[in-house]
Amino acid sequence: MADCGNPNVEQDALMQRRKKYDRTRQCVKCHDQLGNVVIRHAVYCKGCFFPTVVGKFRRVLEPSISKDKSKKGLKATGNLCLAFSGGLGSSVLLDLIGSNYFAAEGDAGHDWSRGRGGGTEHPRNEPVWEHATVCYVEVCNAIPGARDRTEEIRQIVSRLASYAKFLPLRLEDAFDHAWWERVGRSKPHGQLFVDLGHQDLLLSIRNTSSSPVAALKAYLASLPTQTAVPTAIHNLIRLLLLHTAQLTNSSHLLLGTSLTSLSISLISSIAQGGGFVVREEAQENWQPDSTSSQKVAVSRPLRDVGMKECAIWAWWRGLEVVGKENYLGGKQGIGALTKGFIIGLERDYPSTVSTIARTCAKLAPKEASDGLCTLCERPVQPGVQDWKERISIRQFDEKAAIARSQPGLIQRLCYACHTTLTSPSSRGGVGQSAIDAVQLPVWVESRVLGSDEMKDVVAEFLLDDED
Amino acid sequence: MPPRTCALCSTSRAMLKRPKTGQQICKECFFTVFETEVHNTITRAKLFKPGDRVAIGASGGKDSTVLAYVMKTLNERYDYGLELFLLSIDEGITGYRDDSLETVKRNQQQYSMPLKILSYDELYGWTMDGIVAQVGRKNNCTFCGVFRRQALDRGASMLSVDHIVTGHNADDIAETVLMNIMRGDIARLGRCTAICTQGEDTIKRSKPFKYAYEKEIVMYAYFKKLDYFSTECIYSPDAYRGHARVFLKDLEAARPSAIIDIIHSGEAFEVREEVKATQKAQQTCKRCGYISSNDLCKACVLLEGLERGMATAGITDRGRKKLDAEGPAPDNLRTIPFYTAGAAPAVSVGPD
Repeated sequence: MADCGNPNVEQDALMQRRKKYDRTRQCVKCHDQLGNVVIRHAVYCKGCFFPTVVGKFRRVLEPSISKDKSKKGLKATGNLCLAFSGGLGSSVLLDLIGSNYFAAEGDAGHDWSRGRGGGTEHPRNEPVWEHATVCYVEVCNAIPGARDRTEEIRQIVSRLASYAKFLPLRLEDAFDHAWWERVGRSKPHGQLFVDLGHQDLLLSIRNTSSSPVAALKAYLASLPTQTAVPTAIHNLIRLLLLHTAQLTNSSHLLLGTSLTSLSISLISSIAQGGGFVVREEAQENWQPDSTSSQKVAVSRPLRDVGMKECAIWAWWRGLEVVGKENYLGGKQGIGALTKGFIIGLERDYPSTVSTIARTCAKLAPKEASDGLCTLCERPVQPGVQDWKERISIRQFDEKAAIARSQPGLIQRLCYACHTTLTSPSSRGGVGQSAIDAVQLPVWVESRVLGSDEMKDVVAEFLLDDED
Repeated sequence: MPPRTCALCSTSRAMLKRPKTGQQICKECFFTVFETEVHNTITRAKLFKPGDRVAIGASGGKDSTVLAYVMKTLNERYDYGLELFLLSIDEGITGYRDDSLETVKRNQQQYSMPLKILSYDELYGWTMDGIVAQVGRKNNCTFCGVFRRQALDRGASMLSVDHIVTGHNADDIAETVLMNIMRGDIARLGRCTAICTQGEDTIKRSKPFKYAYEKEIVMYAYFKKLDYFSTECIYSPDAYRGHARVFLKDLEAARPSAIIDIIHSGEAFEVREEVKATQKAQQTCKRCGYISSNDLCKACVLLEGLERGMATAGITDRGRKKLDAEGPAPDNLRTIPFYTAGAAPAVSVGPD
């Protein structure tokens, strides 16, 4: 370091290094060992770190399995579906689930939630879930330059989650009628297309022979902003996982979302108009349709565990993290901006991440929903389109009245999905009139064409095959 | 390339790209949609009734100047039957507020509205210059915000008005939603998107520009050639709010609808009932009679801290404890005059 020779000057010039911890370097849990890691100003030794993380993990997960805290142990009503992306959170999730709920017989040193002792045949030692499936969605056809990593992921899963069956999916399955039939649904009568260039998102049915990959690419390419692409990908992955959870008779779908990722997705969702479903961002119960008795509880058991804790867990446990395709829509996407902002803010205001998650957990929708969004299958807030028209006039009354006479997707979307499909970028985005109609995901076809009322309306406007 | 026609009327030449929708429209259609949207906001929320006396919180800045102009225009066009006043607060910031108040005085002439100016000095015995001299620039916005809110209510009470309208725009509201989530302020998060707020004995306060983009307000002022004061406050803004503002501007650049999308989110959720039950009930300040969640209102705590030379007393818990440890407030402490809503006689207003 350069030195001017005057000790007084140097003393003033050097900033005092901020202490990373609050009081002492002793572990806050055992008060005995020297700490090895600092988590939000609290010091933990390696021995206390693991039970602390496991405690946070189980405190979130177990109430979603059973609210009854009887001594007989936990028993879920169905199987388990684990979402795996290859990223840090989902790698830690597989490890935690394995070591806490599927440990091999004779494994020492862990606490079985389903009880200990009484012999292997004792009802307390029944597994919480009979079967577990690890589900991976390959997104290489949606992200430019991404490679297919299915085989790599298969290898990792066989090492990390030998207790589970591996079930790979592809993002384009969302446009594949064969996949839709595989998940036990009936094949729709045609392919439903939407005109994203029209403000009412006019619908039509066509019998085209484009491949699922081509349909996926066309769908993503027609979206109006960089932000809309990762949001749409995220939504497709979510629905693919939910339908797979239903296929595998799973009562629980677990995601490896950490506290940090949850806070980022909460703010990002709010910035995209998803305030009505802020509760579902953290935890939701999904039902394939109103007649089905099967429900899938979507849970994020790492939602109280920060990204740093996940990284330390993975490091100390020697987990192999392959990483994931993290496409946030470029630097200018809302997802990327939110991530940069929250992580930056966390440096100066260390409690920000947990404050966001805690604040959002105290919120509930202001009014009852009047149905499900056909695209994301989450609750729809009533009167969304009227609200939009009132606060930002896009056309004068006469034109609006003419447009309403044709069937459109607009009335069946939630606010956030409508924004994703229609809200332009500041540079104008894709030329609205230049967009050709694009195929919609198979569950949208099923929901729209499954409704007799809608089918009749759409039928009046059916186009010939070659149109 | 032929000139583009307006996306709304399809006849005139498009002059501007509307920040809120991205549509290319003509000047006249811009005025029409801007004013109609404010009118929709007012009528949908049933903000006023004929004969209401309404004070426009006027700082001389773009938001309040456009608000005064639009309120006057809509009042005449749609026959609201309102009696409009301008109400300004003089925080005592040399080189900033004194200049902006000159603009308000000109607006008074231009819009033929009575004007009332109430100063911090008159009400609290302190100017912001004096406060900054004591507390520095770090927390001065806390003092200014708390004092202004109460000063507006007191000024409105002096004018015997039923309602105060302020120029808070969509950007301000979206920014507040984000900030309240990030700092965990559940009480404010629950009410920050409400268009109209009214405590049990405070004057109704509303935000007709709730859905108006800041950029459109500037555009409106520019095309209408309105006379406004455009300098930012000379004292540094709140650092945390600054972060949120930069973030919001980035979001708006990514997708212009982000501002309105955040407001929609804020309107769609509410604080859960079981959480509401744990929140403090509103009461009146034992010292000045203003609405408060504690025995003393925030303004009285801040003022006591200033008077006793412990300015942090109203800012941090540690400061408050230090003040309490020094013993009770002396009898000769300067305090805020006792507030009785609606009880003050109407005062004559005019150029100061």
